[in-house]
Amino acid sequence: MAKGKQVCILGESPLVVEYASLCLNKGFKVHARLNVSSKSAKLPKGIKRVPKPTRSTDIALELTNISIKEKKKNLIELDRIVRPKVPILSSCVTVTAAEQSGWITRPARLIGLGALPSLLEGTLIELATSDATDKPSIAAAKEFTKAVGKNCALVRDSVGLVLPRIVCMLANEACFALMEGVAAKRDIDTAMKLGTNYPFGPIEWAERIGLRQVFAVMAALHQEFGEDRYRVAPLLRQGALQNVFPGG
Amino acid sequence: MIKSVGIVGAGTMGNGIAQVAARAGFDVVLYDISTEVLKDAMARIKEDFRRGVEKGKITATEATEAFSAIHPRRNFGDMGNADFIIEAVAEDLNVKKEIFKKLDAIVAPEAILTSNTSSLSISAIASLTKTPESVVGMHFFNPPALMKLVEVVRGRQTSDETTKTACDLALRMKKIPVVCKDTPGFIVNRVARPFYGEALRLLAEGVATVEEIDMIVKMEGGFKMGPFELMDLIGIDVNYAVTKSVYEQFFHEPRFRPHPIQRQMVEAGTLGRKTKKGFYTYK
Ligand SMILES: NC(=O)c1ccc[n+]([C@@H]2O[C@H](COP(=O)([O-])OP(=O)(O)OC[C@H]3O[C@@H](n4cnc5c(N)ncnc54)[C@H](O)[C@@H]3O)[C@@H](O)[C@H]2O)c1
Repeated sequence: MAKGKQVCILGESPLVVEYASLCLNKGFKVHARLNVSSKSAKLPKGIKRVPKPTRSTDIALELTNISIKEKKKNLIELDRIVRPKVPILSSCVTVTAAEQSGWITRPARLIGLGALPSLLEGTLIELATSDATDKPSIAAAKEFTKAVGKNCALVRDSVGLVLPRIVCMLANEACFALMEGVAAKRDIDTAMKLGTNYPFGPIEWAERIGLRQVFAVMAALHQEFGEDRYRVAPLLRQGALQNVFPGG
Repeated sequence: MIKSVGIVGAGTMGNGIAQVAARAGFDVVLYDISTEVLKDAMARIKEDFRRGVEKGKITATEATEAFSAIHPRRNFGDMGNADFIIEAVAEDLNVKKEIFKKLDAIVAPEAILTSNTSSLSISAIASLTKTPESVVGMHFFNPPALMKLVEVVRGRQTSDETTKTACDLALRMKKIPVVCKDTPGFIVNRVARPFYGEALRLLAEGVATVEEIDMIVKMEGGFKMGPFELMDLIGIDVNYAVTKSVYEQFFHEPRFRPHPIQRQMVEAGTLGRKTKKGFYTYK
């Protein structure tokens, strides 16, 4: 289905690397550009680094969760350069598709994507639309998830969507517990895996996703809802600065 | 060296822990105030061992040996010779305090007293004993024979030695002990709260349906069960009670606030699988 089709991916590492590798694997021709803040990341062989979006691409992806400034710049550039009817799938876990649609001149082609590092190990991708999104773009987004071998679920456009919000909240709570000395890091993970059958411990999960990413989702939830419930654990905030927890 | 384990309360958790202890080679005194419960517990234990033999998990000799190592008792004083006590009576602070006070009077000074409480403070339970340093939480999970985890809960006054002895005992029972501080919900019942709380909020906000959320959580996240299936299994009432307990003990920290959907379902009597109606309907 993806044979010979072209995808152009912009954004931060490791999301770009994960999506680019998957697309390449499924037969897409992949063009990619990493954000300035991710410049040092390596792209696997077979992926072409481009200085600017490819006009003739069949589908475009914008995968920035952390720097909203970079995200906005990328989206505006994609919207300006890529042919008008080509759908743009943009990660929307830290800023809603609705908000993003206000940044560009052709919002009908924008679809929100539940993109967070490591989640491609699963078999489903969440999608969300803004009021402006048109039917052909939704169909194209669904077709794209199928082409990369995933199921999709269309959920309401809301910060964190479903799984990212739940997992980041679990990780945030584990960070509060860790910070308060309730138990050691490894023990919290062991307890959650054995006591509740979670696939990963919440701390190790935060490390797999990346502390900066988890922090970005939590900060966005806190800002969106304005509730103390979504307050970021200070330990997570500190960890996000270095992308490792203080003390290792 | 611990040889004899006394178990107070022969209900769901008590009889399960008794089996595990007997299988680990301990001499077990199993106490309950109710003769009926004790009789049922021994019948249940016998049946569980029989099935263990049937499934080839243990040999007939091992089963007979383990079964004969469990002594059902209705006389509280019979626990006086135990080196290690595991209390698993109803979740009521006053009942537990009373039991610990009575235990304190009959056991040897070096005996270790533990409670299987899932939500009460170990520090509070220990408060009426003369040796609060020898009191520690041992939170087994249901069913004790299958679940590997034991949260070893350190109260305010629990000694390092007591903590270590409890961990060693858990290891001898082939369990995996995890030490945690006496704080509301310990580790599991606290850190798991957002799994339910956020799912309920997502539902209420109309982000996705019950079925969609469960499907997404399993397929995208790799969870074995979705939050709504799990709440139905645990019981909406039980889940609500745990949430409320953690919320109240943290002086109404908003991260633990229960959701109105939970209360409404409890009030409606739709408690999950056990009432055949919860987030899903069961035949
Ligand atoms: N059921 C679970 O899933 C679970 C899991 C972990 C921990 N726990 C904890 O384990 C403890 C026991 O729970 P359960 O589910 O086995 O309860 P249960 O109701 O099945 O058993 C409690 C037993 O205690 C007995 N009892 C009550 N008062 C007593 C007294 N004064 N002296 C002696 N026996 C007395 C009752 O007769 C009953 O048999 C509670 O503290 C609970 O919080 C339960």
